[in-house]
Amino acid sequence: MTVKTAKWIFYFGTISSAILFLALTWDTHNEVAALTHADKLSEEVIAGKHVFQKYNCNDCHTILGFGSYYGPDLTTVYQRRGEARVRTAILTPERVTTWRKMAHKPLSEMELADLLAFFRWVGQIDTHDWPPQDRQVRLRAAAAAQPGSGAEPAGGALGASGPVQGRDLHTAARRALAAGIGTGAELFREKGCFDCHRINQVGGDEGPDLTRVGARLTAERIDSLLVNPASVNPRAEMEAPGLSAAERTELVRFLSGLSGGGNQQ
Amino acid sequence: MTLAYPSQRVARPYFVVAVLLFVLQVALGVWLALSYAVTMPQWLVDALPFSTTRAMHTNLLVLWLLLGFMGSVYYMLPEESERDLHSPALAYLQLALLAGTGVAALVGFVLGWSKGKPLLEIPRPLDLLIVLGALIFLFNVGMTMLRSRRRTVIMGSLLGGLVFLAAMYLFNLPFYRNLSIDWYYWWWVIHLWVEGAWELVAAALTAWLLIRITGVPRETVEKWLYVELGLFLFTGIAGTGHHYYWLGAPKYWLWVGGIFSALEPLPIVLMLVDALRFIRERRVEPRSRLVLTFAIGMAVLHLLGAGVWGFIHTLPAINYYTHGSQVTTAHGHIAFFGAYVLLNLMFFYYAIPKLRGIAAFDERRGSFAFWWLSLTMVAMTTAFGAAGMLQVYIERVMGLGYMTAQAQMRFWFWIVTVLGVALLAGAVLMVVDLFTLKPAREPEGRTA
Repeated sequence: MTVKTAKWIFYFGTISSAILFLALTWDTHNEVAALTHADKLSEEVIAGKHVFQKYNCNDCHTILGFGSYYGPDLTTVYQRRGEARVRTAILTPERVTTWRKMAHKPLSEMELADLLAFFRWVGQIDTHDWPPQDRQVRLRAAAAAQPGSGAEPAGGALGASGPVQGRDLHTAARRALAAGIGTGAELFREKGCFDCHRINQVGGDEGPDLTRVGARLTAERIDSLLVNPASVNPRAEMEAPGLSAAERTELVRFLSGLSGGGNQQ
Repeated sequence: MTLAYPSQRVARPYFVVAVLLFVLQVALGVWLALSYAVTMPQWLVDALPFSTTRAMHTNLLVLWLLLGFMGSVYYMLPEESERDLHSPALAYLQLALLAGTGVAALVGFVLGWSKGKPLLEIPRPLDLLIVLGALIFLFNVGMTMLRSRRRTVIMGSLLGGLVFLAAMYLFNLPFYRNLSIDWYYWWWVIHLWVEGAWELVAAALTAWLLIRITGVPRETVEKWLYVELGLFLFTGIAGTGHHYYWLGAPKYWLWVGGIFSALEPLPIVLMLVDALRFIRERRVEPRSRLVLTFAIGMAVLHLLGAGVWGFIHTLPAINYYTHGSQVTTAHGHIAFFGAYVLLNLMFFYYAIPKLRGIAAFDERRGSFAFWWLSLTMVAMTTAFGAAGMLQVYIERVMGLGYMTAQAQMRFWFWIVTVLGVALLAGAVLMVVDLFTLKPAREPEGRTA
């Protein structure tokens, strides 16, 4: 190879790649507004981004998969966990963490609201169906597997408000389960039990999976657990949920009915 | 034995600060690994969150590598341009400024003063000081080159790389309203640094060193330098697209990023082949076998870390599952180590004996430290990789929760912690060795 050829490789390689890259950057700028729903980029969302950066959240959590890997990815956290749960996690991290702790950050009520708006917006960015644990195929299957959701996937009990799409399926999957069964199930949803517990692959994973809890524990045991978790499991990290007697009766009825039969995928 | 140019001496304090920061960086890394393995009490997490230590760990990496590069450039430039540096005083001022800013940034992180963008957490006022430091450096290097009558490819690559490096840093300064755009330009700093600007600087330093230690003619080395750089930039610039798969950018990035980054190992293979060829065809026997070992080790681990490990998770179909997992951590560690850490350490081992006037030094300790560090890093990467595979399968493929996966990964973080302690020991040994090099006892029958 001559020096001339070598130089030619250098200039051609550099310039061609740079031209392609800059051209696509131009095009990306034209398309990014639609892909990220930039019209919904309100001042509140932008203030939320400032909050996200102010407290250096990104050096423990990833967002869009970028950042640090010490805590869960936050791209879909709003849709996956629900607003109440995210709020709890930020204000009182010790209530949601187990063996890996999250630091307390002194957010004001306004900062918290902005941050939630930011998360909500981020969850709607078109990421080509990333992250894989929240991909549409999985969410639809989870929603369809709920009793009472009818034969149609993601239909039936999900309500008449049109087809449920995107990451709202997380919420839909919970509601389908609750509305199809009755008061106890609705209470389970309302009291935020899903934040820690799973039923049929829906819900959190800090606490035990309750898909078959009715087969494992008697109604009496479930009842005393709801009064005082440590009375049944001395190592329980759950706090007493503070239910009225009537609420407890409904919830016990619902939970003891969960035997996992027929609802497994 | 004296230095060819007295101004080369400014390199020494740069090296000293760089290696001390290196040790601190590794020590903090051990703490981070331990934080993954054990339960830190809540009060401790509140006092010193993981995010703070992580910001320190990564910023120290960037700072010490850059200071190492700067010192190396100040060492080699007088010999390359055949004249003394434009201003040694400015070089000392620049070091004081950058090191001072670094210390302020570290203290700031502990106090919660942060821009909140990973790897670029330094708050804006300090950013401006960094830019000022970079401008002093560019000015000093540029003036030295301008006043020299020599124009070499190595000098061109060096200057091009430094201008490129400084220019890309500017994309870090604005506040971006849209998170997707924010990350888009974040990669202009991070990716275009490590797979663009830094490669230019590193290739120039490596080429210069190889000419020095092998005696291979400059024309040959510089010809291949053109080809290496052409391939690096061809694959590296458009290869930035492999970070744009899932951030809310158009779908064509999956093709562009996938194709160009699949080619990214090529220049690294060429670099390894060239290095081995130059060493085999060497016309002089190098004074230091250790520097030669570094040159080969660097080329091999550069290929393994940046090339192979990067390649295996760069294709979109795989990256969909591995993106943002411990697989990324594994790649990051071995890639930085192979491409830039070893380059810096090699340069220190080449230049420090000369700065101290030692013709040939006792290499046994340094050689042991080289192997210790390199093997520990390979093992640590493997452990990160194992954790990453578990995470990918449990969290992403099976869809079980994040903490469910982390629980299964704990074992591997214990391994990483132990290896981190070993790495720290190796780093301390190497730094002590660099500070206390002793002349070799006259070897039997060595031509030097």
